[in-house]
Amino acid sequence: MSLVFQSLVLGVLMGGLYALLAAGLTLYFGVMRVVMIAHSAFLVLAAYLAWTFTVHTGLDPMLSLLVTVPLFFVLGVAVQRLLVARLRPATLTMMSVLLTFAVALVVEGMLGFVFSGTHRRIPLSYSGARLELFGASVALVKLIAFGLAVVTLVGLHVLLKVTRFGQALRATMQHREAARLLGVDTDRVAGFGFGLGLATAAVGGTALALDSTIYPSLHWHWIGPLMAIIVVGGLGSVAGAAVAALLLGVGQNLLQIPLGTTWAQTFFYAALFLTLILRPQGFFGGRLAQRF
Amino acid sequence: MDLAQRMRIGALGAVAALLVSGCFGGRPAEGGSGGDGPIRIGVSLPLTGDFSEPGKGVQRGYEAWAKHVNDNGGLLGRQVELTVLDDQSNADRVAADYEKLINSDRVDLVFGPFSTRLVIPAAQVARDYGFLFVEPAGAAAEVFNQGFDNLFYAAPAVAQDHYDYLAEAIIAMPEATRPQTAAYAAMDDPFAQGTANGLKEKLAKAGVRTVVDEVYPPNTTDFGSIAAKIADSRADIVVGGTQYQDAVNLIVALRQLNYQPKLAAFSTAPTNPEFPEAIGAQTEGILSPTGYTPKADYPSNKEFVDFYTREHGAAPTEDEANAWTTGQVVAAAVNASGCADPSPECQRKLIDWLHGNEVQTVVGPLKWDSAGRPQGAHLIQQYVGGEIRIVLPADAKEAELVYPKPAW
Repeated sequence: MSLVFQSLVLGVLMGGLYALLAAGLTLYFGVMRVVMIAHSAFLVLAAYLAWTFTVHTGLDPMLSLLVTVPLFFVLGVAVQRLLVARLRPATLTMMSVLLTFAVALVVEGMLGFVFSGTHRRIPLSYSGARLELFGASVALVKLIAFGLAVVTLVGLHVLLKVTRFGQALRATMQHREAARLLGVDTDRVAGFGFGLGLATAAVGGTALALDSTIYPSLHWHWIGPLMAIIVVGGLGSVAGAAVAALLLGVGQNLLQIPLGTTWAQTFFYAALFLTLILRPQGFFGGRLAQRF
Repeated sequence: MDLAQRMRIGALGAVAALLVSGCFGGRPAEGGSGGDGPIRIGVSLPLTGDFSEPGKGVQRGYEAWAKHVNDNGGLLGRQVELTVLDDQSNADRVAADYEKLINSDRVDLVFGPFSTRLVIPAAQVARDYGFLFVEPAGAAAEVFNQGFDNLFYAAPAVAQDHYDYLAEAIIAMPEATRPQTAAYAAMDDPFAQGTANGLKEKLAKAGVRTVVDEVYPPNTTDFGSIAAKIADSRADIVVGGTQYQDAVNLIVALRQLNYQPKLAAFSTAPTNPEFPEAIGAQTEGILSPTGYTPKADYPSNKEFVDFYTREHGAAPTEDEANAWTTGQVVAAAVNASGCADPSPECQRKLIDWLHGNEVQTVVGPLKWDSAGRPQGAHLIQQYVGGEIRIVLPADAKEAELVYPKPAW
């Protein structure tokens, strides 16, 4: 029983982190129909920046967010304006896969060049610290990562629902031409949407680096599960991605008990296949994906 | 003769025909690069991708060996020249790389790549062309079950035997303190899993019950649930069949769950110089098998450590040592046979010589069985007083084995 409860707690914490890591992916697709293979490469880049920051300043890696979040936002706008916006609309989705695949390789290559292939881990005095919660152990770093996920996702939600920019972004997501007719500068909004997605990668990468060993090719291990999450959650829906991430995280951790790690990992892909067969628009998202 | 082999030989024939007809120009078709020119050695290494870190270590070892040989008058009086290709940790690519090295680059000799997963396809190509294949990093049982007669593993022991001295020490403990239960977690990788399985079989036979036996894919990023299973079992000892990042992540996850085993052993990671940096102060008592230590007093080792340290400013690790050992083994065969060219006669002479002789290397004297398995065992190291020291076997130890292990 205690193992089940422990796994449940670990699953929820892991799901929270997965939701944060996947949020950007679903935004890019929602706003621009861009399949952003390089998202996880940027996560790893943010993780390396957090590592560099802590190693050189001795300060907590979370303080690096003050620099990396705005930096990644600007970087995102630049990537959208300079690269993605040049793709032809008719083949945007397909070509964006190729383009961002190349971007991922460039980021990985640069990381290898600058930081070498050596596996890195942020030296944290509290990396092994834990709290007891009804008999389950909760690692402090996992709790902090979960907290970062909640704050970021709630912030994103509020931004999309309440602000004018959020309205413009959602209008662009729903119907680009109609939004343009109503005076929304959709190109600008698309650039900001991309920047916003990449800004979440800065937070996600830092959260990831708190409890993981990082190396330049790590992003290939992440992109598959993250893609599965946004498809199950419904492409373009941040809330859908969050629900899907939590369910898949918990499901994987619980299945791990009877099935072992290898089979538990296939759970993501089984969920992906079932979604594509039964409900291609995703289980928790809007109607967006129906058109694709 | 299987289809792949026929195709390879067919391709070889086609390349030879092109060369004879002069299409390629340049080098003549027969005789390779024999004579007084440099001895050209081809190698493919995972310089990018999953194995890039150890791959680069092996590259440093090969390059240091080549420089050392050249500084000392070369091999058979000829300089050696390395051609290094990057296989991106990809098994398809490594086979194509060796095809290219042998067929179009026309190297005189080849050295093996890093990792069991790359050694097997590479050795296959080398065998098809009759090349000697000495390799620094294919320790898993599978490597030696393929019927290669041209392959030699340049290290003291195969994966199954890495924990041998630890198994003996545990079995020799008095009944009252001997561990009763064990948890194993191993990466689904022939080498990593092989190390854990070797110990598991020996301990299970001696009555130590296996309570967790977890295998995880190499792309596993979250070790929380595996750690939860191990912690829940309250096993007396935990054994990892690990590479680097998985061992580090698993150890931290176990600590986060406050699991305190009496003994914790992980292959590969703890001997890596980055390990204490990654784990922090809680390395005390962690065990690891290792095939190499810079402190070993084998005759050529001091020369190797001095030369390498001069060149790189740091002592060599196991990856560099295994690469250097590969160079030593091939050099011994070349010197004894008096030839270094791609002709089947020369390669056969080199292979036959290694089957019948012992070679003195930086990891000790090596000799092999007919499948290329080295006949030795690994040293066991442990973090004692903040430093990694040899604790087993008794005749090589620098410190006493600490058991039970202090809390982490």
